[in-house]
Amino acid sequence: MDHAVGAHAVHDPNIGNTGLDHRKIGMWIFLGSDCMFFGSLIGTYLSYKGKSLSGPGPHDVFNIPLTSYSAALLLASSLFMVLALAKLDENRVKAAAFWLFLTAAAGLHFVLNQVYEFYTFAMHEGLRLSTNLFGSSFFVLTGFHGAHVTGGVLWLSILVVLALQGRIDRRDYTKVEIAGLYWHFVDIVWIAIFAIIYLIP
Amino acid sequence: MAESHAVAHAAQGTGHASIKTYINVAVALTILTAIEVASLYIPGIPNWLLVTALIVMAALKFFLVVGFFMHLRYDSNIMRALFVGPLIIAIAIILALMALFSAFILLPRHFS
Repeated sequence: MDHAVGAHAVHDPNIGNTGLDHRKIGMWIFLGSDCMFFGSLIGTYLSYKGKSLSGPGPHDVFNIPLTSYSAALLLASSLFMVLALAKLDENRVKAAAFWLFLTAAAGLHFVLNQVYEFYTFAMHEGLRLSTNLFGSSFFVLTGFHGAHVTGGVLWLSILVVLALQGRIDRRDYTKVEIAGLYWHFVDIVWIAIFAIIYLIP
Repeated sequence: MAESHAVAHAAQGTGHASIKTYINVAVALTILTAIEVASLYIPGIPNWLLVTALIVMAALKFFLVVGFFMHLRYDSNIMRALFVGPLIIAIAIILALMALFSAFILLPRHFS
């Protein structure tokens, strides 16, 4: 045993000298870097806005009611996620699994809406990745967000299975909280995308 | 009980709000989203006002989720710095790219 480590580390190897969980610090660092990634994509979209030489443009293709519904789904899923954590904190694992399942289901519904949106744009509106500047910047930005949501749905689904198998309890609170941080992050990115890409004229 | 629980956890950087607070935040997010979408269908709003209102409402929603759902309001300053620092850089990247491509959405065309 290395005697140089702090008292916290002797009890829990995940707690460092700062008294904070390394895994949680790692997730916040990742989310910070992902902020810059999406900042670059949003900046590129805005830089290209209105500069396409040919159509279709944003307001020829956007389906605001469908996208608003998708935004509501993600916001609701964020509430479900914190309710799952609250139940886990009370060590009510089955209830936590139920809310985690609802979170993943709302996320999956969001992804399916996006697949439908992309299909409609490509097949009915003639907007593809290489059609114009709007197409390339829109599909890359929202596509990467959709990939993040898909990853989150898989992560949450694994947690649901582990919870149902009894392999998660209150002691795993931080593991589930870290998944929640990631999930809320995809929600806040969508808050930005929804306002900047879909709503701003 | 729940609030004292939150305070107790806050010292370890793991605090969180009560379920009642979560519900209140969700209601606020729903109302803000409804206003955002409804504002598109109100005729006669000047473009600069609409854009400003949409950005302010999105920022409010963003910080409600980060502060309460992601528990950053109850977390340690280290966690806050790890997120807010890169967030400021991300906003700077967006503004820099817009400046490079003369794409300021809030300004009239002859300034951009």
